[in-house]
Amino acid sequence: MLRLPPLRRRSGGTFAALAAFFTVVFMLLGIGGASALSVPAPAAAGTAVQHTGVEGKKFAIATDTTFAPFEFRDGSGNLVGIDMDLLNAIAKSQGFEVDIKSLGFDAALQALQSNQVAGVIAGMSITDERKKIFDFSDPYFDSGVQMAVAKNDDAIKTYADLKGKSVTAKRGSEGETFAKSIAGKYGFTVKALADSATMYDDVKAGNSVAVFDDYPVLAYGVSQNNGLKIVTEKEQGSSYGFAVNKGQNQDLLKAFDTGLAELKANGEYDLILDTYLAKTEVTEQGSFFQLVADSFPALMKGLWLTMVATVLSLAIALVLGVLFGFFKVSESKIMRGIATTYVSIFRGTPLLVQAFFFYFGLPQMTGQPINVLTAGVITLSLNAGAYMTEIVRGGIQSVDPGQLEASRSLGLSYVTSMRRVVVPQAVKIMTPSFINQFVITLKDTSLLAVIGFAELTYQGQQIYASNFRTGETLLIVAALYFIVISILTQLSNVLDRKFNK
Amino acid sequence: MSTAKISVRGLKKSFGSNEVLKGMDVDIAEGEVVCVIGPSGSGKSTFLRCLNKLEDITGGTVTVNGIDLTEPKVDLNAVRQNIGMVFQHFNLFPHMSVLQNIMLAPVELKKLDKAAARAKGMELLKRVGLSEKADARPASLSGGQKQRVAIARALAMNPGIMLFDEATSALDPEMVGEVLQVIRDLAAEGMTMVVVTHEMGFAREVADRVIFMDAGVICEEGSPEAIFSNAAQPRLQEFLAKVL
Repeated sequence: MLRLPPLRRRSGGTFAALAAFFTVVFMLLGIGGASALSVPAPAAAGTAVQHTGVEGKKFAIATDTTFAPFEFRDGSGNLVGIDMDLLNAIAKSQGFEVDIKSLGFDAALQALQSNQVAGVIAGMSITDERKKIFDFSDPYFDSGVQMAVAKNDDAIKTYADLKGKSVTAKRGSEGETFAKSIAGKYGFTVKALADSATMYDDVKAGNSVAVFDDYPVLAYGVSQNNGLKIVTEKEQGSSYGFAVNKGQNQDLLKAFDTGLAELKANGEYDLILDTYLAKTEVTEQGSFFQLVADSFPALMKGLWLTMVATVLSLAIALVLGVLFGFFKVSESKIMRGIATTYVSIFRGTPLLVQAFFFYFGLPQMTGQPINVLTAGVITLSLNAGAYMTEIVRGGIQSVDPGQLEASRSLGLSYVTSMRRVVVPQAVKIMTPSFINQFVITLKDTSLLAVIGFAELTYQGQQIYASNFRTGETLLIVAALYFIVISILTQLSNVLDRKFNK
Repeated sequence: MSTAKISVRGLKKSFGSNEVLKGMDVDIAEGEVVCVIGPSGSGKSTFLRCLNKLEDITGGTVTVNGIDLTEPKVDLNAVRQNIGMVFQHFNLFPHMSVLQNIMLAPVELKKLDKAAARAKGMELLKRVGLSEKADARPASLSGGQKQRVAIARALAMNPGIMLFDEATSALDPEMVGEVLQVIRDLAAEGMTMVVVTHEMGFAREVADRVIFMDAGVICEEGSPEAIFSNAAQPRLQEFLAKVL
């Protein structure tokens, strides 16, 4: 798994490196995603500090993009979850309004520190380190690591039953830390995986006998019929809190605490938690066709973005390919050098590294944030442009040099000779390669899922991250790619036959 | 000082470290037909290709119609319009019809409008005996027909000079005659021509002068009579003994 989606950990320590990495991912995701995610910070966040009351005020509150069950998007794309429901209920009871900004965990903290938002609620553990820079509300949730096994597995009930077996935990998570701390004592091995859905699949497939994960995440998964059952009590507990900048927005903090206490008193708090964590029989998995129907809107949205990225990238790549392709066959050493360098760089480095570079690296170096679609299209067009350059070069060079000589000997200029004699013949030769590159680029858009570009593969990941039906969802996604590529390939071939007789 | 149509002085051409032409001096007068003969690799084709600067010239000068092609600012396209060239492998444009092949240069260079270019093309096709092939694609023609079209194409800009680079070498034997006849007709009309050929009989028949090249230099030159009947140089004698 390339992306660490929805259920990632949020305490420091070993996770620091990845956290730094995702800072940029989610910050840019926030900036580049749907417009709902990227509303600039309103003045309310700053001005509210000065007032004593919160009533009638509107506060910008930052949160993560996906951290089920605390915040995630439901089937229709609305942000839901324990954090969201709690915050909305508190806001309602205390008479203030919230403007939720789904930025990503690290980006949310940065936004808070730079006063772009008034507070952060993102399933954030209250730690001593964080207390130095933030003021926390009363804890609103007690977490902890639990062990789960396959639903039909009656052999594993305690840590002692794990002897000689293999378990899984999320890389860099508290679950992993805990599992490793007891692995020696109970004689089992720990395999680290990137995200919850993969871990659960690993257990269901029997590769691992148990998974160590955070209680709310596990409980939510079980409530969604992920095929597991929890067999142990919470370990290494930590508490989640709502945070404001140290010394600021104290009225908001106070209102949160008051509201939280009220919700706990009147039972609404338990209701909200039960919505997401209680094992309910009603959420039985629907049929495969129900899954297709449910996921269709999100997948279509993804497919649309896939097509947008593909078409934009290919259009630019074609221009780049023609430009540098001609550079490559030109008589100027400098031009050939430029084209060769360009091709070497983009053909000689992985597309994934390029995507990371344009998305995280470049903005860090220039200080200029970049929209995820822009970064994706830059990556794909520069990459495909390198291959297009070679296609164009190959096409031109496969035309008999005698053609150019004959044309030049007539007194036609180089440009005219290329235009009237060489290129028309080269295009015919190049067309199949162009179609091939088109298909490759379309499929390559799926790699942009790792930078959070909400194309088809990303949408698929989002879906199985919350419903745990990995195989079926991927089948649907693959089928969509297959259908679209088949149609477009057929179309291209028809056009090729029509125009390149 | 020379009134020659083509004047070559000290012409040298190297490909990398391989010197193919090692200093050639030739003058070709208006209306003269010069045939260039010699063994493979002697530099005949390279010499011919230097005359319209299809090859970069390493040293010396080539002056055509008083214009020194080695001058950096020379308008080669303008010079080439006055020099028709026919290649061993025809080099017809396969994506165009026969007539379009011929019309391309006059139309692109705005010498003629389309209608006039078409008329000119048909006239040239008639001259090479291929009027009925105007709309055919080159691929459907025989080798001899292709080369006749190539000659018509080279004539489309009304050049004062024609260069033939082994124009019959790639042809089946029974097609050589029809192509040579077209060249013969051009010679009779007084066209200035440089013909690189392996057809010794043809060279003897049409040439005003024959140049024998060997190893990148002019080894011997003179009238066909002098070259073919009274060869002085042992290398020429050896060559003629092989090809005749």
